[in-house]
Amino acid sequence: MNPTPSSIELPFHDELGFCNVLMSAIGGDGANMAAKLLFKACVSELDLDGAYDARYGSEKKGTPTDVSLRLCRLGTPVHESGPTNRPHILCVFREALIQPLALNRGLQKDAVVIVNTSKSPEDIRAELELNSGTIYCLDATTIAVETGSRLNVPILALLGKILKIPIATLREAVGKTWPRAREANLKAFDRALEGCTQKRFEADGKFELVPPIEPRGKLGYMNMNDGGAIDSVTHISLSSNTPSASITPIPEFRVEICTHCGLCLLVCSDPGSLVWDDKKMIAIDPVFCKGCMRCVEVCPETKKGKALTEPLGATSTPTSSEAEAVLVKRV
Amino acid sequence: MSLDALIDQESDAKRTAIAKQVIFIGNGNDAAAKAIVDIGYDGEGYYPITPSSEVGEVVSKAIAEGSADMSFVVGTSELAAISVVAGMAIAGGRAVDVTSSQGLMLKAEQMPAISGMGLPVVLNLATRDINAPLNIKNGHSDLMATLGWGWLIFCAPNVQSVYDLNLIALRVAEAVNLPALVAYDGFHTSHANRRILVLQNREDVQAFVGSKPSRVTVLDVDHPRTFGPYMNDDLINTKVQLDEKFKKAYDLIPSVFEEFHELTGRLYQFAEIYGHPEAEAALFILNSAGEAAKVSVDKLLAEGKKVKVILPTVLRPWPEEEMRRAIGSTPRVVVAERASQYGAGNYLANELGATLQRVGRKNLLISRTYGVGGLNFRGEDGIELLNLGLNYPNVNEDERKLRGYYGAWPGDPNYDPPQVFTPLTTEETTFNQEGSKIDFKHLSQMPARVGKHSACPGCGIFTNLNLFLRGIDGQVVFLFNTGCGMVVTTGYPFTSFKTPYVHNLFHNGASTATGIVEMYQRFRAQGKIKEEITFIVVSGDGGDDIGMDQVIGAALRNDPFIMLEYDNKGYMNTGGQLCYTGFKGERFTNAPVGNLGRGKKQHSKDIIEILRGTHAPYLFTAAESNARDMIAKARKAQAAVRSGNFVFGKIFSVCPLNWGSDESKGNEIVDRAVKSCLFPLYEIEHGITKLNYDPEKSGRKIPVQKALEIMGTAFSHMAKEDFAPILQETQEETDRRWQRLKELDTNPKL
Repeated sequence: MNPTPSSIELPFHDELGFCNVLMSAIGGDGANMAAKLLFKACVSELDLDGAYDARYGSEKKGTPTDVSLRLCRLGTPVHESGPTNRPHILCVFREALIQPLALNRGLQKDAVVIVNTSKSPEDIRAELELNSGTIYCLDATTIAVETGSRLNVPILALLGKILKIPIATLREAVGKTWPRAREANLKAFDRALEGCTQKRFEADGKFELVPPIEPRGKLGYMNMNDGGAIDSVTHISLSSNTPSASITPIPEFRVEICTHCGLCLLVCSDPGSLVWDDKKMIAIDPVFCKGCMRCVEVCPETKKGKALTEPLGATSTPTSSEAEAVLVKRV
Repeated sequence: MSLDALIDQESDAKRTAIAKQVIFIGNGNDAAAKAIVDIGYDGEGYYPITPSSEVGEVVSKAIAEGSADMSFVVGTSELAAISVVAGMAIAGGRAVDVTSSQGLMLKAEQMPAISGMGLPVVLNLATRDINAPLNIKNGHSDLMATLGWGWLIFCAPNVQSVYDLNLIALRVAEAVNLPALVAYDGFHTSHANRRILVLQNREDVQAFVGSKPSRVTVLDVDHPRTFGPYMNDDLINTKVQLDEKFKKAYDLIPSVFEEFHELTGRLYQFAEIYGHPEAEAALFILNSAGEAAKVSVDKLLAEGKKVKVILPTVLRPWPEEEMRRAIGSTPRVVVAERASQYGAGNYLANELGATLQRVGRKNLLISRTYGVGGLNFRGEDGIELLNLGLNYPNVNEDERKLRGYYGAWPGDPNYDPPQVFTPLTTEETTFNQEGSKIDFKHLSQMPARVGKHSACPGCGIFTNLNLFLRGIDGQVVFLFNTGCGMVVTTGYPFTSFKTPYVHNLFHNGASTATGIVEMYQRFRAQGKIKEEITFIVVSGDGGDDIGMDQVIGAALRNDPFIMLEYDNKGYMNTGGQLCYTGFKGERFTNAPVGNLGRGKKQHSKDIIEILRGTHAPYLFTAAESNARDMIAKARKAQAAVRSGNFVFGKIFSVCPLNWGSDESKGNEIVDRAVKSCLFPLYEIEHGITKLNYDPEKSGRKIPVQKALEIMGTAFSHMAKEDFAPILQETQEETDRRWQRLKELDTNPKL
């Protein structure tokens, strides 16, 4: 038998008694696992109940994903399902998702926003167009890289602190859940609690509250093709906006070393990433490349080194103007 | 964290039930699996389909860990899985299955046969819409299709009731010898994690469902019976019997509900009524949306509005009297359904209408289709629909119609997107002149016919496809079976294909291609089509398990198209379940490695050898590690279809996500698979086998372990000591197959 669950006061309540947390990440970041862990810890160790849902589809690794946690006092009926569309707390695993996904939609007044970034809260507020609330800027990437953990652990630690979950309980759950990565994770957990930049913003009229956006595309029952068929010439994916591809680091390409042997082209798993013109490789297109580094593996070693190498920093190769011209031509 | 649910040892003091219960945290699929394991079924027949796949994974994990003792069979298809279940039941076993959507459709043939034979099996249905275009999310068109199949139907609106109704359903099913369906909403319930209560002791579960009632089985040699005879005029009498069973079930169900109430403190009824006893408007709505509409009722009641929501728990037998009572004198009832009968009154609206009309009741029914394709249904949606009932007929003209859609949108009439590319011409895609040497630089100019996609980084599918397509000239039409390759390329409203493309479900690609090619040839002969087109069907290895018969059919008819199989050794689109192509010992989500689990139990399926018996003109295997060979085979394949022949090619394809392998190492992994002879490169032309690469000859052959060890966590455990016998067997089987191929290569007459 467990002792009586500890009592905690959640920082927010909507009219149904829920504190809504939304995590925005890309597949593989571990947002799903973090939310599940937090849900289990809250429901089994504290006097809380709630719902843990996600927006599911056929999302693959590297594509954006939403994870939702709605917490309430034990005894509050949990009727609705599906992810929250009115978060009090927003956790952004990848800053680059803020604008393409319009993450301010549905965000409540005086929200809490945790962002994995090295930028300042002021910069993030401008990017997010936050009406009001507190922005916590945590460099989770650096913590994860330096400790050998993942993005989810530092963000989870900070979220736990903000939710006022007893830190020891959460820390223990992290250790127990991933026994093989225990040491790295706990280091990351502690690092995240050492502090981050934070700032509170009043509703100063700079940005309006934005209502949740429902899935209403430009194509509907009046103008959709019969049976939902897609016209390729107007709706080819290369003109679509998929933010994920530009999030992951992509190989460095040094055109001056390249022998244009074509081995990279044979193994590339994202057709269109390697930009070739007139039998010569001229650039990597960051819109297509997801950074698997298959090409780096096969790129032959020359006297001057390899033309394709793993990036040192997290930045992607800027596209040369020559390559840009080809990209325009291709579209 | 793994998907299996955590069981807390804390008891819930608030309940006054007889049996001890504990908190269980998990989603709807976990709850179904928990019930299956606790009931102690004899067997489960299984085939993966989103969103119900997880149930079998959790059950197979329990078997691997030794906490469940039951037979678990992965079928080649949904129909196979439910037929396995039928077999188990005919042999007297307690058997269970899970499915969704198209999976249920494929089982359709077996469903009325199971009820016809009176087999009390349970099928969990995580509801999902049936459709083209493909949508994997919630909808009740699958559930509604079952209404006349002679199955008991229980509807579980939340995670708690998934567990509870699994126990209740089996109890009722066995009492009346009818099969039972437990329907819960795909994703909205199947993937919703909640805190629920479960019985602490399996003995209590087993005491509630009771011991298996005895019936004569096919194993009873002392009482031989002929099951499923041929029957003419007498058939109608079996239907009377079937209907009588539903009457018996109708009489029995309240007492089972009551007994369950006493055991657990949770009371189920034919229909749950939530709201005002003298409601002026009601919402009649199934499952998770009904659960969510309780929020709407609370809110409207607080505003002084008299409303209620009615959630049916039992659809078959249709509890007519209880449904009338539930509706009572409420003048207007909005019947909202996650399905439509298109061009006719809706399923439940019709049924309710008839139920009311039979006793002369005049309640007005307003029918709406909502939430199809997984659109979320929240409290605010319930408020809209209840207000429609409250305000009717004082609503706008559009809403006054008694049948219609809620939540659909017309689109932007001014939307006129620009053309962003010019379709590829035969000239700009011609690079493989006959006899020309394979020059990668030259081929770098071949335009990509398949572009930007949302597959995982390092996915093998697109490496293979693009490599192969460099050897294919001119106009191409693609047909994709359902699988990763399909979902990551055609997410509406965008497509990755610059060429025409068709997807026609999981296993129908080969036959659909046959139909298309027949018409192509016909119209070409008539002079209506000038350009030559090459048709390429792309399927995962899973599509060639479920669609094996259709592939064989196309091969036997020698239909002129290329069928390419990207073999990534599993059902990867649904989360890494066992496919017959997998290697012995390979870890799958439904063939785990645990105390007793040793991964896949059989050696890999060899589809080329299966197709050898069709005497198809050109069969081959190919791998990205041997790029020149793959392009040569593409050219040969195109030449073969151009001269009117069927071609099948199997291409080894890495899956970094579900193999747990390094994204960057795809090429090396494939190279090792080839060099270890786990994936030998060869071709069969009109029965003559030719090895295209002999690693033995060049001294490059490596032990299978050298390949498996870098293939990721789905395979690397095989290098461990306790897997030594399995590794040894895999080595021996690989060598045996390799030696046989060598013999075939040296002796063309074999």
